[in-house]
Amino acid sequence: MVKVINVTKKYGNFTAVDNVSFEINDGEIVGLLGPNGAGKSTTMNMITGFIEPTDGTITIDGFDIIKKSKNAKREIGYMPEGVPLYFDLTVKEFVNYMADLKLVPSRDRKQEVERVLKETLVYDVSDKLIRNLSRGYKQRVSMAGALVGNPKVLVLDEPTVGLDPKQITEIRSLIRSLSKDHTVILSSHILSEVSQLCDRVIIINRGKVVAVDTPHNLECKVKKENAIILTVEDKNDKISKVLKCLKGVKAFELIKENADGTKQYSIISEDNVDLRKDIFAQCAKEDLVIFEMRNSEVTLEDAFMKLIQVKEEKE
Amino acid sequence: MWAVLKKEIKSYFLSPIGYVFIGLFLIMSSVFFYLDVIAYGSTQFETMFYSASTILTFIVPVLTMRMFAEERKSGTEQLLYTSPKSITQIVLGKFFAAVAVIVITELLTFMYFIILCFLGKPHLQTALVTLFGFLLLSMAYISFGMFASSITENQIIAGVVSIGFFIVTWFLPSFGSAISTFSLIDMFDKFPSGLIAVEEIVRFVSFTVLFVLFTIIVLQRRKSVK
Repeated sequence: MVKVINVTKKYGNFTAVDNVSFEINDGEIVGLLGPNGAGKSTTMNMITGFIEPTDGTITIDGFDIIKKSKNAKREIGYMPEGVPLYFDLTVKEFVNYMADLKLVPSRDRKQEVERVLKETLVYDVSDKLIRNLSRGYKQRVSMAGALVGNPKVLVLDEPTVGLDPKQITEIRSLIRSLSKDHTVILSSHILSEVSQLCDRVIIINRGKVVAVDTPHNLECKVKKENAIILTVEDKNDKISKVLKCLKGVKAFELIKENADGTKQYSIISEDNVDLRKDIFAQCAKEDLVIFEMRNSEVTLEDAFMKLIQVKEEKE
Repeated sequence: MWAVLKKEIKSYFLSPIGYVFIGLFLIMSSVFFYLDVIAYGSTQFETMFYSASTILTFIVPVLTMRMFAEERKSGTEQLLYTSPKSITQIVLGKFFAAVAVIVITELLTFMYFIILCFLGKPHLQTALVTLFGFLLLSMAYISFGMFASSITENQIIAGVVSIGFFIVTWFLPSFGSAISTFSLIDMFDKFPSGLIAVEEIVRFVSFTVLFVLFTIIVLQRRKSVK
């Protein structure tokens, strides 16, 4: 649906985006992830045709964004960073204007605007001035503007920035419901958001694509050790004996002693072995009470930090 | 073009700008109507436009300074330029919206003509030719004001640049004939005598087209350097 081929963007001597290529398939939700200033917004601005790349081509649904811009732009709904809106218009007037700009035929316009207002849950404020809306509503109005005309691709630049937790969940579920009929590209520096929402993640750092993969695969790639976190009540220090006897334990260490007398250990086992059953059985035998036991998870956060670091070290 | 045009006209009258423009113009032209026409006991509607044309220097920038500067500052330009509308359509939409405000203003100034009809026999043709010339002058001013607005994101700068430029064109005739041909006010001065001067029309239209084109070029260019 969206093809980005060898795209470079230079501002004078500064290269904001450096020879980036990726492809986004029909119906996918893809997250562009990267630290501030990595080139996420620049990339999105090029995909939407707001700025032109210095080099390379971008096609939307087979149409070149520069050469066939009318056809390509028709298939894009863009929600820019910082949700710019016309404050002196009402919600309905704004969405109507966007429909007009997006060449929605005038006989379908009323229906289409109503549909979008309902879908983004702003129908009940449709006659209010945008100026007087709360941040959460503004965000949804901006989303409505992007959705009108039913474009195939939705480009959302940091859609949840500046919202309170309740609004964030609302926007996320909205994005999730939209992904049924649209290809979605969203940018974010909130990793948990990306891992919750996206089918694939494109990590960008310093204008270069560092990794393209599913959130799960990225986590696996970075997960170096098979670790278990164990919290036990262990007054007589029996646990070290138990662990030493267990097969498959490579190492273990005390992480912290809690105020209630329990101790938390990190146990590193050999790869592809799940020791939790054995640990449970042994602890039961030795009368050790287990308060908590879980696989230590590598989050996308770790993956992200690591990938970015590796890249920086190489340079 | 229509989408932008409709929205811009609406914006002029949703915000105070449209009313301020028309109000200011009418107040000042009323003064000129009294000083230039009534005080002389004349029924020559067109004479007030020699003075009225100078007001344009100061109030056209009220219409034009926000055109692109505001969109750029607030980021709404992203919505415009990522829509399937071409930059030419957007520029023309905004240009003609401002022209529409001028047309509305001119229709309102026609009341002075009607007042004169009660006092004597004003010459309709001369009045219409004057209004036509006044429209051409306004379009030339708007095109430059729009261009000024496209080169900055600061409305004040756009406004000051426009006013400065218009004032400079007043004084061009004192610099000799070659440059004086670019004096917009001079070009206008033929019309109140009731003459449709082809040369002046061509000059006005060329000036307008030139700066509309400049605006399009500036905005197009910003896409690749921005």
